[in-house]
Amino acid sequence: MIGLTVNTRPVKASVEPRTHLADFLRDNLNLTGTHLGCEHGVCGACTLLLDDMPARSCITYAVACDGARVTTIEGLDNDEIATELRAAFTREHALQCGYCTPGMLIAARDIVLRLPTSDEHSVRVGMSGNLCRCTGYVGIVRAVRTVIDQRRERGITPIPGGGRQALGPAGSGNATNPVVSETTARAAAKTETPDQISVAMAIPNFTPAKVFEDQFTVAFPPAKVFDMLGDVAQVAACLPGTSLIGTPTPERVEGMIRVKLGPISANFRGAARIERVPEDLTGRIVGMGSDQRSRSSTQGEIRYRLVPIEQGAATRVELSIGYSLKGMLAQIARDGLVRDLAARLTADFARNLDRHLSGVPVDGAADGSQDLNGVSLLIGLLRRRVQETIRRIWGR
Amino acid sequence: MKAAAFAYERPTDLNTALALIAKADGTTKIIAGGQSLGPMLNLRLVEPDTIIDISGLAELKRAERDGDELVIGACVTHGDVEDGRIPDVTRGAMQRVASAIAYRAVRNRGTIGGSLSHADPAADWVSSLSGLGARITLRSAAGVRNLPIENFITGALESALQPGEIVEAVRVPVMTPSAHWGYVKACRKIGEFAHAIAAVLIDPERATARVVLGALETAPIVLSDASALFGGRVTGDFKQHFDARVADAILIKAGVANAVDRHIHVAVLRRAINEAAA
Ligand SMILES: Cc1cc2nc3c(=O)[nH]c(=O)nc-3n(C[C@H](O)[C@H](O)[C@H](O)COP(=O)(O)OP(=O)(O)OC[C@H]3O[C@@H](n4cnc5c(N)ncnc54)[C@H](O)[C@@H]3O)c2cc1C
Ligand code: FES
Ligand code: FES
Repeated sequence: MIGLTVNTRPVKASVEPRTHLADFLRDNLNLTGTHLGCEHGVCGACTLLLDDMPARSCITYAVACDGARVTTIEGLDNDEIATELRAAFTREHALQCGYCTPGMLIAARDIVLRLPTSDEHSVRVGMSGNLCRCTGYVGIVRAVRTVIDQRRERGITPIPGGGRQALGPAGSGNATNPVVSETTARAAAKTETPDQISVAMAIPNFTPAKVFEDQFTVAFPPAKVFDMLGDVAQVAACLPGTSLIGTPTPERVEGMIRVKLGPISANFRGAARIERVPEDLTGRIVGMGSDQRSRSSTQGEIRYRLVPIEQGAATRVELSIGYSLKGMLAQIARDGLVRDLAARLTADFARNLDRHLSGVPVDGAADGSQDLNGVSLLIGLLRRRVQETIRRIWGR
Repeated sequence: MKAAAFAYERPTDLNTALALIAKADGTTKIIAGGQSLGPMLNLRLVEPDTIIDISGLAELKRAERDGDELVIGACVTHGDVEDGRIPDVTRGAMQRVASAIAYRAVRNRGTIGGSLSHADPAADWVSSLSGLGARITLRSAAGVRNLPIENFITGALESALQPGEIVEAVRVPVMTPSAHWGYVKACRKIGEFAHAIAAVLIDPERATARVVLGALETAPIVLSDASALFGGRVTGDFKQHFDARVADAILIKAGVANAVDRHIHVAVLRRAINEAAA
């Protein structure tokens, strides 16, 4: 049970913890003026006032606002600044479809309240968290600027910080009662049903959206490394988090790889096609897979080339890694984060390959029990590398 | 775009919170402002069984001077810093960083502790607080420990936070009157995560320079003695002595292979140095 003050009216309701504030207002209270666009904090359509401060209602859960004061666009009918803004929006043609407008008005009201002057840059920066997909920003910016100008001309001074005194997230700390969940109320265990990947599925060629290079060296001759890379089961054993499904052929493999990106853990299941050119010691692996949990799919391509070094006693493995990522994961997994992940995978692989070729057992890789964990050895290695470099440059 | 079901717990004091976190297993998550976790929950990239809300804990929502440091509770928001609701010991440096994080509506809920715990290499506090030489206080039911920020962030979305621990506070040293600060980030759109960050803290009187190159693919490069960037000695005219080739070499050695990326990082560093010299 939570209690809120919504547009000055006290409201009590029992709400599922996962319900975000916007859904609660729209579905339970029929306050549909709060719009939803992206539902992950980027577009600003859901912006409303929480304890009088603008906040995103799509990434703020209703339970977390127990006791808070919520003001939606419906609650600003008689608000002085909002009234002036509405008139200015009409005058300056600051809306067409109106989808972004409730969020725009809330954000605009906040900067009208706070900005000392109406210089265009500050207004644009202040409004940058609200996207308009049809009208364009010229009219919106002009409307906001005029309202600021008019109010400052009338001698109304800006209020720094919007008048807030309390520290901490807007909307937090109003409830004094603890919430302790019963074990029975705990979410039921989530079951994962494995994806159905057809064995006959063809793996198409594709043009990767992102390509980057990496390389590592192994203290064994190229021919030996090339042989080893031809043994799919051994390769998989060197990749932490990998497990094979069925028996791989030299040309084709099916399996799963579990990767961890901060709090996200994804389990990609898929298949790959393998091509090798023994004459020039090169090869290519093209694969595709999907993670059911995050409803994301990826296509990837790894090209490798073995270059003899140290008079052929050792090998430099040059990699070109290309991938395309689609689905929810693509919203979070920026290029750099994926690269960091790939760099960690590559380094773990290189280490395991070296061990394998030396006859040292590779620790628990192929059974899929060991996730590729970011705090793995490699980060240690990388950091050490950076520190050594810096020391070298500094001559210490 | 709706989060999967989770159970919710909201302790009202820190000790209860620590006890809950101590017995939590891998399927429990802490939530502070929810501005990073919320998107991941809605996208169902993370599906915890239980969420422990620490945003109501008064112990984490204060800021006070302790000797030469300002101790900022983990649940102080970017907006609190931007609006000057906490004391200023960095001559406006933190305030300027805060006001350029995300957007106002995000800053009003996003917390300094949440940002560091999330450990996104492109996050502003990760680089700027490393530049300011800040420390982080981690507390568990068993005790408390302090780490320099640069030892806390161990990689992309990876930190030294152990199970059972929470970020309790950040300890920011008082900036000396003779210190010069510069902080610049490269973004294509305001409020998005940076493509490159540089933070510099230079004190010619003490001949010290601290430089951070951030928003890399992994944890930032922190040069606690960056004199090599200025020809080996930090003087009042450090701007003239900045050697971009040394910066480039550092980035190469740190594994930044792409020349365009390095160019952006070096350009951003140069701007930060210029800002510090201004
Ligand atoms: C549209 C958008 C744009 C953004 N742009 C930027 C930007 O330009 N620069 C930037 O730096 N950030 C940006 N952010 C992120 C923002 O700063 C978040 O507020 C911040 O990263 C997380 O803080 P939070 O309090 O919301 O944490 P939450 O989302 O509540 O938590 C984040 C993670 O930290 C953990 N956690 C939180 N608090 C603690 C604690 N005290 N102890 C231990 N673990 C804890 C949680 O379990 C979770 O894993 C952006 C966010 C959005 C939505
Ligand atoms: S719906 Fe909340 S920011 Fe887009
Ligand atoms: S008015 Fe249509 S999206 Fe802005």
